[in-house]
Amino acid sequence: MSEDRSKRADEPRLPGVGGDPRESVGPVSDPDGKTWFRDLDEAVVETDRCIQCGTCVAACPSDSIGIEEATGRPTLVRMCTGCSRCWDFCPRSGLRYERIVDLVARDAGLPRHGRNEGADGADDSIIVGEPYAARARDRSEHAAGQDGGAVTALLAELLESGALDGALVARERADEPLRGEAFLATSRADLREAAGSVYTQTMQLGRLEETLEEAGLDASDARIALVGTPCVIEGAAALERYDWAGESEPIALTVALMCTRSFEHERLQQAVESHGVDPAAVEKLDVDAGVLYAVDADGEVVLEEPIGSFDTAALRGCLECSDFVGGAADISAGSVGSGEGSTTLVVRTERGRRAFERASAGLETAALAETGALERIADWNQRRALEALPRRFEPRGSVGITYEQHRAAYDGTDREPEALNPARVHQYEEWC
Amino acid sequence: MGLSAPVVVSPEWLEARLESVTPVDVRPERAYADLGHVPGAVNVPAERFREPGRVAAGTLPDWETFSGLLERAGIGPDDALVAYDDEGGPLAARLLLTAATFGHRGPLYLLDGGLDGWRASYPLSSDPPALEPTSYEVEPPADSPLVGREAVEAAVDTDTVIVDTRTRAEFEASHVPSAVGLDWEALLDEEGWLKPRADLEHLLESRGLVPDRRVILYCNTARRLSHTFVVLAHLGFDDLAYYEGSLTDWVRARAPAWDPLELAGQVRAHADDGIEGLVDACGDDVLSRLKLVGLYHQKQPGYFMLRTKVPGGILTSEQARVIGRVASEFACAPERYGASRQNPIFGDAYLDLTTRQDVQMHWIRLGDVPEIWDRYEAVGLTTLQACGNSVRNVVSCPAAGLDPEETLDVRPQVETISERFLGDPVYGNLPRKLKVSVTGCHENCARAQINDLAFTPAVDGDRRGFAVHVGGGLSDGPRLASDLGVFVEPEQVPAVVAATAEVFKTYGSYLDTAVNRLRYLVEELGVERFREELERAVPFSFDPAGEAVTTSYRGDHVGVHDQADGRHYVGLAVPVGRLAGREFATLADLADAYGAGELRLTPNQNALLPHVGAADLEPLLAEPLLERYSPTPGPFTRGIVTCTGHEFCSYGVIETKNRAVGWARSLDAWAERCGLDEREVIRLHLSGCSASCAQPQLGDVGLRGEIYRDDHRTTAAVDVGLGGDLGAGRFADWIAGRVPAEAAPEGIGRLVLAYEAERLADERFSEWVDRVPNDRLRGLLEGYGDAPESSTAEVR
Repeated sequence: MSEDRSKRADEPRLPGVGGDPRESVGPVSDPDGKTWFRDLDEAVVETDRCIQCGTCVAACPSDSIGIEEATGRPTLVRMCTGCSRCWDFCPRSGLRYERIVDLVARDAGLPRHGRNEGADGADDSIIVGEPYAARARDRSEHAAGQDGGAVTALLAELLESGALDGALVARERADEPLRGEAFLATSRADLREAAGSVYTQTMQLGRLEETLEEAGLDASDARIALVGTPCVIEGAAALERYDWAGESEPIALTVALMCTRSFEHERLQQAVESHGVDPAAVEKLDVDAGVLYAVDADGEVVLEEPIGSFDTAALRGCLECSDFVGGAADISAGSVGSGEGSTTLVVRTERGRRAFERASAGLETAALAETGALERIADWNQRRALEALPRRFEPRGSVGITYEQHRAAYDGTDREPEALNPARVHQYEEWC
Repeated sequence: MGLSAPVVVSPEWLEARLESVTPVDVRPERAYADLGHVPGAVNVPAERFREPGRVAAGTLPDWETFSGLLERAGIGPDDALVAYDDEGGPLAARLLLTAATFGHRGPLYLLDGGLDGWRASYPLSSDPPALEPTSYEVEPPADSPLVGREAVEAAVDTDTVIVDTRTRAEFEASHVPSAVGLDWEALLDEEGWLKPRADLEHLLESRGLVPDRRVILYCNTARRLSHTFVVLAHLGFDDLAYYEGSLTDWVRARAPAWDPLELAGQVRAHADDGIEGLVDACGDDVLSRLKLVGLYHQKQPGYFMLRTKVPGGILTSEQARVIGRVASEFACAPERYGASRQNPIFGDAYLDLTTRQDVQMHWIRLGDVPEIWDRYEAVGLTTLQACGNSVRNVVSCPAAGLDPEETLDVRPQVETISERFLGDPVYGNLPRKLKVSVTGCHENCARAQINDLAFTPAVDGDRRGFAVHVGGGLSDGPRLASDLGVFVEPEQVPAVVAATAEVFKTYGSYLDTAVNRLRYLVEELGVERFREELERAVPFSFDPAGEAVTTSYRGDHVGVHDQADGRHYVGLAVPVGRLAGREFATLADLADAYGAGELRLTPNQNALLPHVGAADLEPLLAEPLLERYSPTPGPFTRGIVTCTGHEFCSYGVIETKNRAVGWARSLDAWAERCGLDEREVIRLHLSGCSASCAQPQLGDVGLRGEIYRDDHRTTAAVDVGLGGDLGAGRFADWIAGRVPAEAAPEGIGRLVLAYEAERLADERFSEWVDRVPNDRLRGLLEGYGDAPESSTAEVR
């Protein structure tokens, strides 16, 4: 650390972009490395790069970050104390997500499959862990879940065996079509209700505390499986490594759902509508081989369009992600590579292996010898990310990215921080 | 032209005129770009021109923002605009109303049915129109439709119709007196089209709304009222106005719920029902309102911090004894939080002296508050308005009336200001807190530059009075107060405080609590304008500035000092301001035994025992309590100041009191080993977060809590600032961020040693800091680069 810091220019911290009146009145400026939620807001939320993982909410020690109902994005609800933690854990700003993935892989020490030339010349493998084709033994679960229902079956076994108290998953909201919400499933019935993929983000990690409370579980001794997109798991893995006030303690297992992109709920509804389909009539969405299918309550396919025609509804921040598989998770799950009616599971860590073995009664599994399809899509996803990512992709870099480093890489691109509309600064509270 | 009938136009109307008018799409950039828009429409996103963040201008954007937006969208001042959104029209209407308020000359139209209405009959386009930037210059209309709170107050119960455009439920919950309710959506049919004219006129008449009456509209955030405004203009109403502050502002400025005496009564009435009972009876927000009576809900649910207000820091020994006993009896931690083992150093039943000369205690239960208040009232103590958006405890020189050199004894001013505002609901609910300081000595003991309003001594011929300073403060936007350049007589002081509160109420916003401290208002209005406003609000004219007599800055009052009357006052260092309740009661006993029954508190979280005769000095100094709270402490113990920190404060990022007491102790021992104990004081200020409650900007070394993380670990950390010196009008400069806390004492030691080794004769720490490059300071702090020889002495 000392090497780096001694070389810093003798200058105050780079001012934010938004012309905060608090920055303009005084003779004193912040030191380098100081970041406020406002900086995150301008660099990530305002510039539409937020991927709604909820890590910032979970990381904030003063509960100053809440979730805006209309947009489902983070927003300040109490005074920001300038502790920098929201920045440090955001996979789109201060957290070098590829480094977290790398650290998890190193610690796991599991066999690697496939090779890929990493951006920094290292021989980073793209799929790390043991791949399986898996399906629920129970036929009805198999049908309800996505591609084999293995995730539902795995979690149900763990819940019923007492290894877990709950699983934080996503389900569709009752009041709004195609919009997901975080849901803490505590029984097999709950899991079945939530089975099937949701294609919008739910700020899951930021809802951990409140869903535990709603379920009447004590955060200090509950054991929870966190099931989410790779970015949610990156945030959780970082919090587990650098826990401050026990915020990650309930997490006993992480399951990543392989993902190339997620959608913004309103734009997704509008995009479905623009194809002449009523979003409320859509029971289930599915993406397979680059085609998005919408199915109604009768199982009728009502929409079948190339996924590319939904580009405008996708979260812009997803383009910067190379982590299709979810390399920071104990177990990754997806549809690619294991054929019709099966789930591809990649078991990565010791914790993942124990869970996988403990749930074996509910799963039919077979080792997956052929991972070419998985690698091809992961590889494509990584190339797309490297094109979109304004900063360098450095799996061996330091886990933190400072505000200054972020600005140096992003300023002047179409992903540079945007001044915060003062209408949103308004949410402070008096404190002293 | 602006908004004159017809205003609401149909898609057919627009389609026929696409060549001659400019459609304006107010949806977010991405919706406009990705989802298609009316052919030829330009994009002016509503989120860019709605700005409730301004301090003085309410929710309108500033002129540069608005004109810049229009210029970039190629809109000229004479263009005919047809605005639309996809939310029923209020955002589009908001654009039109904003343009009309700024004086747009061309006609302004609202597209009926919005984007959905258009799409039902006509295609969308994805092509952005070719834009030619314009120069948008207009004159604001002579008769602005924008009115403030005072105009609404004047309109209550007159012929003017005040219209509440919120939902019926909202209206029923609360509204401005004499207002009529008219839910803006009632003007639209189920599919979002404007209802037929006859239906509308019928509906409006039912609310007493006819075109020849003056109408003032309000809602909550000036969105919904815009739509109603546009529709009324469409129907031929031409005397229309709107109140931007809207109900949020009105409620905060008026409501009896924010009356401190009323609140104190509610606490007494419901004290035995517990917090749930109080919340049931007084509403969810009662916990935040309790600040007005000195109660903060602490981090541990069900327990409160109680702040006792001590004007000028002056207590009788009787009052001090009551405070000490209350702390012993009531500030006790419950068993589940460890009872008397709750804090490893201080146990429980202790109290904290603060930087505003207040006393704070923790673990107070609601049920005990009436008993505490009874005991307080019996000896003339109060907790009312100790916190909250009110005139806070008035800070003054703790040696007022004792100091042989002072120009004025300010005790009467401190008392009148305190009494003037106590319990007064008109000033009990300001836009934000108002911090006042009064100094009569020459050493700026009450820290004028960091208060919202400060009086420092001045002379004008043989008149003695004050200079007035406004707009100082710390926190995350530190600002040194500005000298207004006037001279006021001592008896004029209360009127100046009241006038400042008035100006604050008139111009300050109740909406944006983050940036509505007085300093932002001073910054926005400018010092000249602020002085003019203030002068208008006082019943006299200001005299030009006298001769300022402040000569220096005195950091503290520790030690034995001479009084003007030949007796002595003894300043005691209370490390981090924390002492046991019973110790505080003992101090009161010492004041009776050796002094004249008086005890004072200083803005350094220390205590001062005045009126000690020469013969009593020696026995007083031999008292065992003075070993712990010494008039001759080590330099670090003498200068340490901290906030409450993580122990009780939900914002505190790191623990402060225990940490700082430990640091001061080990640094003092280290200083002795290095032969540095001749130094009087080294001022270390540690705040648990960036809210500046420990005034880190004033310290030789200012610290605020952070969290450090590298690849291997995460740990408590501090931002480090150096060279705070109010005598030089200088705040500490932040030189390093996120230094792991465990490394801080040693780094501070290296800095102090380097200063001792390198300083020129009489060079102050702040001057040395100014002269040494930040890189080197940072190197010393963090342990790299060249350090003086003796720095090998370890701080343990």
